Amino acid sequence: MEASEKPEFDATLGGTEHLPYAANSLKFASSRSVEIAAMTECILRPSKTKLVFQTVPVHMRRRVMSHNSKRLPRKLRKAHLDQLKKSGLPPKQKRPSRKYRRRPANLLEEYNRRQKKNVWLETHIWHAKRFHMIERWGHRLPYAPCDKAFRACYRGSSAHCLLQDISYYTPIQITGAEKLIKEMFAKVTSSVCGLSIGATAYIKGTRHGIIHIYGINSFPFGYIGKVQFIWVPCDGTNKNLWLFVHPSQTDQIKSVLEKAASIQDKDNYETAKKRRKLENVTENIQIKAMPSSFNRFQLTGPNSHAVLVQSLKCVNDGIKNSKWLSLHKPLDLKEKDEYWRTISTASSPAQLPSNMVVGLVVKDPRLSRPQRRTKAKQDTNTEIDTKSLLHIPPFISNSPLWDIKIHEAIIKECKTNGQFIQHITKSQLVPGEVDEDDPALQCVPVVLVQRPGSQNPEFKKLGYGSGWDIILPSGYALPFWLTFIMFGARSGGLREKESLAFEMGECYLPPDSDAGKENERRIEIELRERYFRLPPSKRVNYIKIAINSPFVCPWNVLLTDWSDNKVNKYFVLRDRTILNDIQESITKKQCLPNVENANSCLIPVYIKLVAKGSLQKHSLICLPEAGDLANLKTLFEPHHEDPNEKIRKLKRAEHIKLQKKIRRSKMKLKKKVTTVGAKKLRKITGIEPSEYTKSMRELWLPSKVQSVRNVASRQVMGYVSQGAFSFTEGRSCGIGYIAFYALKHLLNNGLNQVLVRNTTSRKYRLANIVIVKNT
Amino acid sequence: MADENTQQKKEESKKRPKRHPNKNYALKKRLPLKPVDGDNVIFITKKTNFKAQLDKCCDLLTRGEKEIILHGLGAAIQRCCNLALQLEILFSGTCQIEVNTGTVDCVDDLEPLTEELDFDSQVRCSSSIHIRIFRNAMLGANQ
Repeated sequence: MEASEKPEFDATLGGTEHLPYAANSLKFASSRSVEIAAMTECILRPSKTKLVFQTVPVHMRRRVMSHNSKRLPRKLRKAHLDQLKKSGLPPKQKRPSRKYRRRPANLLEEYNRRQKKNVWLETHIWHAKRFHMIERWGHRLPYAPCDKAFRACYRGSSAHCLLQDISYYTPIQITGAEKLIKEMFAKVTSSVCGLSIGATAYIKGTRHGIIHIYGINSFPFGYIGKVQFIWVPCDGTNKNLWLFVHPSQTDQIKSVLEKAASIQDKDNYETAKKRRKLENVTENIQIKAMPSSFNRFQLTGPNSHAVLVQSLKCVNDGIKNSKWLSLHKPLDLKEKDEYWRTISTASSPAQLPSNMVVGLVVKDPRLSRPQRRTKAKQDTNTEIDTKSLLHIPPFISNSPLWDIKIHEAIIKECKTNGQFIQHITKSQLVPGEVDEDDPALQCVPVVLVQRPGSQNPEFKKLGYGSGWDIILPSGYALPFWLTFIMFGARSGGLREKESLAFEMGECYLPPDSDAGKENERRIEIELRERYFRLPPSKRVNYIKIAINSPFVCPWNVLLTDWSDNKVNKYFVLRDRTILNDIQESITKKQCLPNVENANSCLIPVYIKLVAKGSLQKHSLICLPEAGDLANLKTLFEPHHEDPNEKIRKLKRAEHIKLQKKIRRSKMKLKKKVTTVGAKKLRKITGIEPSEYTKSMRELWLPSKVQSVRNVASRQVMGYVSQGAFSFTEGRSCGIGYIAFYALKHLLNNGLNQVLVRNTTSRKYRLANIVIVKNT
Repeated sequence: MADENTQQKKEESKKRPKRHPNKNYALKKRLPLKPVDGDNVIFITKKTNFKAQLDKCCDLLTRGEKEIILHGLGAAIQRCCNLALQLEILFSGTCQIEVNTGTVDCVDDLEPLTEELDFDSQVRCSSSIHIRIFRNAMLGANQ
């Protein structure tokens, strides 16, 4: 036997080694620790050649295990996912079933997740079903309706009712002594732009106003934006003021106001110290931005009055036991109801006192909703009394809505649509009948703000763009919105906001503000990308038609060219008296009045083509020469030579050659790879365009614009920032800006008409100019 | 306030055209009150093309409308008359004209130009014409 031949190990059996009677377990384990560690590691992290799902015993293996981690035992899933991540393949999860996703709780969770990135309006879901949504200014906003209702929206604004949700405007509350607030605003506004915030016309709170805000003491530079304000009517020394600020300017305006207030506090403190009257110091101004504390809808068009009259039913006396009534008692309900009734027969909001503010307390709008969509109409039998239109009664403007205390109570008591339907079906015996004095539904405070629209019949149709703005407490957006829609209002989005401003002849985001610059940059990027996506044969060769910045208006370069020294900062003229003088001198073909900082001054003009032709964004406004008006029909920009054309061709040929070379070498490599079995060459797909495309783009469209004035055969005076066919004028119109010296030059030549050329054409067209006064 | 303004206006109108009744205010016009609107009611304006409005009237009449009503306000009165006369010639013998004149109270807003003043308003009277054109014979001659 083999065993007997082998010598024994243990001494008791006749071997050589003496073994101990007991083993020390600690020592035993520690001497084998290396082995144990190796083994446990082996178990936890299987050998590199195998993947986790391959380690599962055969009877536990399942089909497509590697793709669907759910088929693995749960304890292996994590390791498996880690491995997948390492290999670069993101683990693709199956989309949960529609049924699961649509469960209310899951849906809400999903909505909350998506709202983290962009703020949603309360009517977001309604809009998202019907509109193209875009991201703008930290919000997700409706851009245009999916049914392409461009002209229908215009018709709505001119003859019916156009409804827009502008809740994205940020309300800012300012509290403080009237005098201090006035002083603060004196630093950031200028008296030449119009009435100041503390003018007697506004301070009572019966009318809203608009002011232009600049940086601190930097007028005329540093324009920020225009702001609508409403004073809360009250008698005390401490006053409340609400600003409604465009979201692109909110931060800037808030910081500027805070700075202005703090400077003032310092001054006050010092003067008070000198006078040793320290009680003044404690009074200061509080500035609070409160986004999404109100909802605000904009109704435009003559029918908007009828829509509001039909959907808002005033509460006569405060018998209703709404909770918020105990917090803030609304005043003068009866008188308000009466007044609302007397003006309810007006056929358009343009007939009412301009800029009027009306505070009402109304019944729940769901009660006055029609069964199906009907157009609200005025009963025209009773004529409105002109006496009631002359003056605004002083009690009409106060509203409990401005009291922030009640907002919480209103939201708590607000019935959602589901609760409302439940309540109605439970309490109604006869279906279809509505009990208007239902105590379960609370009444809602709202504020109506009238916009007068066009008041100058020489410029635009009288009353075009007139309408109401309605301000609601948060939580009530959807009930009101749906009621307005059911009364025949047409909904519009941001596109309509732009086109409305264009039709009214107003500047939408002027180019001297940061918001305007941002907007210009965005448009430039969009247009540029679109241009380079086209195949070269479909691209307009801008060099040949002498246009060097087709996608953006280089205001700096323009002003530098016209003033002989470098201009970095520029501004749009907003001085009312000077604008009026300029308008007069244009109509009379006289010399222009002098302006301070004329070097960097842009003048806003409204451009109307004399004959046919279409005007587009970024078109050039050019200076006509002596004989131009006589032979307009044959006035073309001559063809220009494109020096880059040859270079482009050469470059392209070279590039193609290079590409071929690379491809050939790749093929060779591939063959080698198949034989040798080395690593694969991975294709790099970068987002950044390659050096070659960049240089080609530069050859198509040189990005550095040195000079713009004398590039084409006619001198460039300015640019059109917004141009299109205008429905109110029945011809192509535009809003543009002209350098002050250019206008001076034009009038010195004895002309008051300009030439306009589109960026894609060689044709010069004649146009009339009118100064825009309501920038 | 309104009375004062009208007085001032009278004085000023002798010197120069009455654009600004007062240096402290800018005059802003409101939409005038409208009479009953309908399919057969046409408001004549100075901006709309004359031929287009004539065609519209012709269309309405030939389509079988029994009467159409034209309204003209202020400077548009002359146009309104012209249009009615043109229609009378076009529909010779088959149409009759009935003319009414009246006055419309227009409200103007006076926007202050200085800080101390409040908004104000004034009533301005404007002449108006209302022409009813009705068919007395349905011949279909103009079809």
